[in-house]
Amino acid sequence: MGSVTGTFQYFQSEAPLHPAARAALTEAFDRGWSDPTKPHFESRKAAILLNEAKETFAAHLGVRPDQIEFLSSPSSGFHLGIAGLALPGSTVYYPATARSEVFAVGDHLSGHKLGVDLAGQALWPRGLADDLLCWQSGNGETGVISKPPVDFIGRVFVDATASAGLLPLPSRWHGALWDSRSWQGPAGLGIFAISEKNLWRNPLPHIDQKITSPDFSLPLALASAIALDAFSAEYEVKRKSLIELNERIRDFLLTEIGQVDIAGSLSNTLPHLLSFSFLYIDAAILMSELDRRGFSVDSGSACNATNMEPSHVLAAMGLLTHGNIRLTLHPQMERTSVETFLATLKDLVVELRS
Amino acid sequence: MELDCRGMRCPIPIIKLAEGIKAFKEVTLLSDDPATLPDLIAWARMTKNEFTVVGTNTYLVKRS
Repeated sequence: MGSVTGTFQYFQSEAPLHPAARAALTEAFDRGWSDPTKPHFESRKAAILLNEAKETFAAHLGVRPDQIEFLSSPSSGFHLGIAGLALPGSTVYYPATARSEVFAVGDHLSGHKLGVDLAGQALWPRGLADDLLCWQSGNGETGVISKPPVDFIGRVFVDATASAGLLPLPSRWHGALWDSRSWQGPAGLGIFAISEKNLWRNPLPHIDQKITSPDFSLPLALASAIALDAFSAEYEVKRKSLIELNERIRDFLLTEIGQVDIAGSLSNTLPHLLSFSFLYIDAAILMSELDRRGFSVDSGSACNATNMEPSHVLAAMGLLTHGNIRLTLHPQMERTSVETFLATLKDLVVELRS
Repeated sequence: MELDCRGMRCPIPIIKLAEGIKAFKEVTLLSDDPATLPDLIAWARMTKNEFTVVGTNTYLVKRS
């Protein structure tokens, strides 16, 4: 089977920049080049654009515009958010399915890892008022949507980097982090929200301890707001068909291929994310064979990791770590691409197992 | 039956184990691959077999 060119066959987590953001990018650089904190005419224009972008983000992400800060590196937000909210001597709780950035910060503080069940859910503790819980709204590998930490009485840091702005914040939150790439916005931009500025202090050496960093690209923030707007609208239109595609893939894997371990159920996962593992299959071989046929996918198997360790998310949930394939169903995905992909996948798995 | 899979990477130990358990009711699996323990947990659940950790990198697998 040869590769099908011209159709959207990207099943990996990152997607090309959203066309709406791409179209706006040049204009964003033309209009948003000036430092918005200065008093010049162009700066005042830039400041207005920045405020408009903040309002767009706020509306989609469920926060107030004045709670938003931008980061030039989304992953630095884990350190800023967790270490900046954690009080000295308090316990930092996080699920075993949290991102490794959370583990890294937790290791430096009094971190406490919480086990998860087969569905990827942790039993949230009650904690103490000074404790911090790192809560992940949606898991980027499995799409599992976490139950809200309703009984926890401490501070809550929300990792929303994989939520694409689709999942609500819990009723009580103190810091939250998003990644522009999750809604097909430009890379190199994190959105960090702090519920009340006086709860947070910058854990890094800083000039102004109230703000995260003055260094971010305003044009990228403007383009990202446009991407978020467009992506959200598109997702809303495609939500039903994404659910149907997800259901179709799950059904095909179980009935047409078999000996497959699928993460979570459709009712507790984001419909555009899907992770599954085939028994007795080497994921590295499967991935490269799929790639040769024009399909790009992700994998959490050890053979694809730089450290040769299996995905800690799959291991924590008790899911099979070898033969793992991870799909992201971008809203642009057509049913025909999915059907071609499934037929190819079946042929390859049958061939590799024999 | 003893199955020495030390030095082999996933999914080889589990593939060899699946072959071994077809022929023998009990297999002692030696494997130092970091994916073996999580994969044994999942494999046992999926194939309805049982295993116990009997030592460092040593697992006793029973067909059920």
